[in-house]
Amino acid sequence: MIRKNWRLILLVVLVLGGSLALFGPLGAGGGEGPTNLQYGLELSGGASVRAPLVGMTADPVDLEGTSGQDLERNIAEELGLSPPTIEVRHPDSDEATTEGTVEVYNESVTQAEFAAALQAVGLDADESVIEAGLTRATYDTAERVLDSKINAGGLTGGDASVTTGANQTYLTVEVPNANRSQVLELVGDPGRVQIVGLHPAEGGYERVPLFDQETLNVNGVSQNQRTGQWGVDVSVATREAAQRFSTIMQEEGYTDNQGQCNYEIGSGPDGDNAYCLLTVRNGEVVDAVSMGDLATTIESGDFVEDPRYFISSNSQEDARELEINLRAGALPSALDVESGTNYFLQPSLAQDFKFLSLVTGVIAVLAVSLTVFIRYREPGVALPMILTAGAEVYLLLGFASLIGLALDLSHIAGFIAVIGTGVDDLIIIADEILQGERVSTGRVFESRFRKAFWVIGAAAATTIIAMSPLAVLSLGDLQGFAIVTIVGVLLGVLVTRPAYGNILRNVVLD
Amino acid sequence: MVEFEIPDVDYTRYSNRQLVAIPLAILGLALVILLGNFLITGTSPVSLGMAFTGGTELRIQTADTQPQIERTFDADVESIAPIRSEENEYIVTFPPSDADPQQQAQAAGYEVISSQERAASFGADTQRQAFLGIGAAFLGMALLVFGLFRTFIPSIAVVASAFSDIVIPVALMSIFDIPLTLGTVAALLMLIGYSVDSDLLLNNHILRRRGDFYESTYRAMRTGVTMTLTSIAAMTAMTIAASLLAIDLLPSVGIILVFGLVADLMNTYLLNVSLLRYYKYEAVAQ
Repeated sequence: MIRKNWRLILLVVLVLGGSLALFGPLGAGGGEGPTNLQYGLELSGGASVRAPLVGMTADPVDLEGTSGQDLERNIAEELGLSPPTIEVRHPDSDEATTEGTVEVYNESVTQAEFAAALQAVGLDADESVIEAGLTRATYDTAERVLDSKINAGGLTGGDASVTTGANQTYLTVEVPNANRSQVLELVGDPGRVQIVGLHPAEGGYERVPLFDQETLNVNGVSQNQRTGQWGVDVSVATREAAQRFSTIMQEEGYTDNQGQCNYEIGSGPDGDNAYCLLTVRNGEVVDAVSMGDLATTIESGDFVEDPRYFISSNSQEDARELEINLRAGALPSALDVESGTNYFLQPSLAQDFKFLSLVTGVIAVLAVSLTVFIRYREPGVALPMILTAGAEVYLLLGFASLIGLALDLSHIAGFIAVIGTGVDDLIIIADEILQGERVSTGRVFESRFRKAFWVIGAAAATTIIAMSPLAVLSLGDLQGFAIVTIVGVLLGVLVTRPAYGNILRNVVLD
Repeated sequence: MVEFEIPDVDYTRYSNRQLVAIPLAILGLALVILLGNFLITGTSPVSLGMAFTGGTELRIQTADTQPQIERTFDADVESIAPIRSEENEYIVTFPPSDADPQQQAQAAGYEVISSQERAASFGADTQRQAFLGIGAAFLGMALLVFGLFRTFIPSIAVVASAFSDIVIPVALMSIFDIPLTLGTVAALLMLIGYSVDSDLLLNNHILRRRGDFYESTYRAMRTGVTMTLTSIAAMTAMTIAASLLAIDLLPSVGIILVFGLVADLMNTYLLNVSLLRYYKYEAVAQ
């Protein structure tokens, strides 16, 4: 009994497993409603932006005997840019080569200028090795930063990912329930924050970079009890950085001129005797404060032991934004939103789509059922056919919630396509087994079933081959469609279609 | 009650030439239409959707009339289509430009229900990938079919029929001005799978089974026609339902599959059958 019906038993077991994934603890979770299913933007609403990062890369460049930091500073100087806009990547130490890459995170530099700057600092590189676009490592950094910006910004459920196109790499940011401007604001802001010291020097003022996102740990937004000013509590991450800060503050005279910071945001210092700590965001000074009480703790040496520090800002909202940027770090380069795509769908319409596409699916199933009933007129053949095709889609839904696939309209199209091919194959099995004289023994049944299976297997292989380019290429919407179809075909060939054969065997042999 | 009988076509009454003539003529016509359209437009035989050209598509809600909407935007409006299931809702498309239609829509007090914007360069990249994908899929299918049958005529019969199953819907897209979108590309790829199904079945029955050619053909037809009709039923239902309900993507997938499946009925049971009959009675006999 069990040996004869193992195909059917396998289907039942998998359907139970699928139920656990759909409704029970097996699903990846995070879904809304009664199931564990997760929905993409097209079925839940929200906004997404997909765009490349600006900049170019020289690859390969022989970097033997060079120091990354010095190179970055020198190249930046040649180009008139700030050092964080140049990234030198040496090869991994276990690699035999000395060739690495140099990237510039700026869109106004031309390839010729970049090549000239590389040659000026003694690197052997010309325009032929320079291409638009940035390395995968840079994209990965940008992805991480965007992910933490999304989370720090309270946009729940959002996600950043890197996709590779035919000849370009893109960053995709998807945020459910957000609108277009929220997402554009989030990605449009590189979020580079620096604390820079400003003091008088020969012939004007000198600026010294003091801290950036790497050297500051964020404790939170707070309001100064005494002055009522909003700001971010931070502490310096390393003892070295704190020591360096203390030394500069004392040697350059900040601590002796603690109250003096006449600085006009937008125009610069007033007079010639200002000592300021500037908060610089994306290259723009957003706040300037004097040392205040900090001078006392620096001079007593307490600061190095307990390097806490308050960065003031203009409003609670500014403080909050500063906090996000400090926590998330800076995007290595800006996103070129103009050369990408963006998408927005109102959540209410998405809810409609979710329901209506279910209706469409049901209508398609009814059409199939009607055709099958008219053709076979025998419920014993037709009913299991519909049920098996239904089981196939059910298993696919279980699979989707197991791996946490976010369903979009393209997946729905895939489900309907799977019903179509599924029923086709069941018709092949049914016709093969029901044709000619009645099947009277298990042996005859097996032989006919195997014959039917040759066609099914070959057809399935073709569908998988036809869909696999789509599953690999990043055509956005279509990837989901292809994956669902391929998995559906595999589930069909390996599980549901053999099980249908099993049911028919019981029907005809009784 | 509806009757559902697969016609028993008397193939003996027609010569191979006669049978092949119809599908080949239609394939030729389709190719001429595509070529003609290509020569007229100079760019592409079918109109390309936003996914491939770039541009902006907005779904907006407003009490304004269509001419009023058109005047609201600085940028050229490519098309305005009212949504059947919702009153006062329109889909407005724009070619790629520097203008920001989304901002103008909001400034005019329109409610933006959904928006989609693509840079032209991004569209070009998508276009390249889509053609690459269709080409790779077709080549993969052809190699697999030749691997399965290992003889030229039966294999080329399947491949030719699949080719025609794709070209005919594309020509129909060109006639009815259905733009090529990501959805229709998916449908064309899906057609490769659907098309080969019935051809494989026919080849299998005729080449790998004992029995009379006409008997085998009839059996394969009974199964194959049922399969294709079921799929046509499913896709017609999906197309009608999804376009009445104004769901994105699904209607274009459905309509292309319906076109292709109808073409497949013709190609399989006229083109493929006659090629196989030629192979069985003439090529093998020599």
